[in-house]
Amino acid sequence: MNDDFSKWWAVPAIVIPALAPAALPVPAYAAQYLTLEQAQQALFPGPSRFVAQPLRLTPEQARAVEKYARVRMRATEQPVWRVETGGRHAGWFVLDEVFGKHEFITYAVALDAGGAVKGLEILDYRETHGGEVREPAWRAQFTGKRYGAGLRLGEEITNISGATLSCKHISEGVRRVLALHQAALK
Amino acid sequence: MTGIRRARPLLGTLVEIAIDGDLPRAAAEQAFGRAFAAIARVHALMSYHDPHSEVSHLNREAWLRAVPVSDETWQVLSAAQQLSAASDGLFDITIAPALERAGFLPRPADHLPASSRGSWRDVDLLPGRRVRLARRLRLDLGGIAKGFAVDQAIAQLRAAGVVNGSVNAGGDLRTLGRSTHTLHLRHPEQPTHLLPVITTHAAAATSAGYFQYRQWTGRVCVPIVHPGTHTLCDARRSVTVLADECLVADALTKIVYADAKRASRVLDQYQARAVILDPDTDRGACRLFDSAA
Repeated sequence: MNDDFSKWWAVPAIVIPALAPAALPVPAYAAQYLTLEQAQQALFPGPSRFVAQPLRLTPEQARAVEKYARVRMRATEQPVWRVETGGRHAGWFVLDEVFGKHEFITYAVALDAGGAVKGLEILDYRETHGGEVREPAWRAQFTGKRYGAGLRLGEEITNISGATLSCKHISEGVRRVLALHQAALK
Repeated sequence: MTGIRRARPLLGTLVEIAIDGDLPRAAAEQAFGRAFAAIARVHALMSYHDPHSEVSHLNREAWLRAVPVSDETWQVLSAAQQLSAASDGLFDITIAPALERAGFLPRPADHLPASSRGSWRDVDLLPGRRVRLARRLRLDLGGIAKGFAVDQAIAQLRAAGVVNGSVNAGGDLRTLGRSTHTLHLRHPEQPTHLLPVITTHAAAATSAGYFQYRQWTGRVCVPIVHPGTHTLCDARRSVTVLADECLVADALTKIVYADAKRASRVLDQYQARAVILDPDTDRGACRLFDSAA
């Protein structure tokens, strides 16, 4: 076993050759956690009405958001639902997406009627090997599809050890959603 | 395999919980809630950054007087001290000042300068779950608390009636109810490329520099301090440890990273297995070292 004679730390068990992009052992990771309806139900349990109220920011509002959140506004339209429970305004459900170097994450933030964060759920997460995540066309292939029928995803990969990609972008995203509320939903 | 998964940002990473099999939806939702709450509680108790955490309280007060702590913090401190003793100090929760100097940890404004000569031997665990620091040290449970949080979440899933499932906190993971499973390791230089490893250990943890590294004194470093030299370890490799508990796996990655040869005895003692991926930059190949080989 691990005695001084085996010297496992000095002699490689395997040498993996240089990876050619065409010979990837497994695809990059992707997971769908919740559909849009499931996320709405998870964040606002019980009978609620979700009234779609997509937000189109004026240039002034977009600038206010950028200033308050200290992040750049990429899209000018944000999917937002006004939530009503028992006929009363219960809060907002804001759908958002963030991307980093390799990852693309869709998540939803629930705000209560006062604009405070009530909860957050990740809807889906996908990784890519290359730089596709920077290309709007790559991201667009998931937009729309994602919210309805479940996509067929790589189910065989369930456990990756070695850090999911940074969730720093989600923190920035939440800051931007709060700024959106400040600028346009109050 | 049917099942449902949820992910939330916690512990500074994305935490994914999976429940496999046919648990009724309401029971599954309750199990998710309990497991995520357990992780959030560990985060609130043991965060180094949060001035209201128990760890921050210890860092302010415990060098002046004995400070009582929660059962959870006590469990982690006790396990940390055992691992320090077993590794002769390769694992050490008092290395925060070195991480602060390199910029991996913020230096809290309300903290006085810490002693740089202290070690885990200056942490006294006293009867009544009280902690006393013999020097002005700063404790950082960042090398072990994430694994503990995963163990706590698994315990909550089990208590909620889940038979098969898993918890993955940014690479620190543990499965429930599976005798063998396939784990995927990230390639240290191309982290979206995955290498499969089959294991019977329930838990795994990986330390690597691919998402968390800095230039320091001209080298690319990971936030792991070699306790002998008080310098940071090189960032090229990734170290994965497989063990029965995630707390053990998490802490052992630091020991193997610091000194794989000396770690061998500790791996045996905890019935754990280490896998090191070490890229050979010149040839583009990657060497895999396996303590079970």
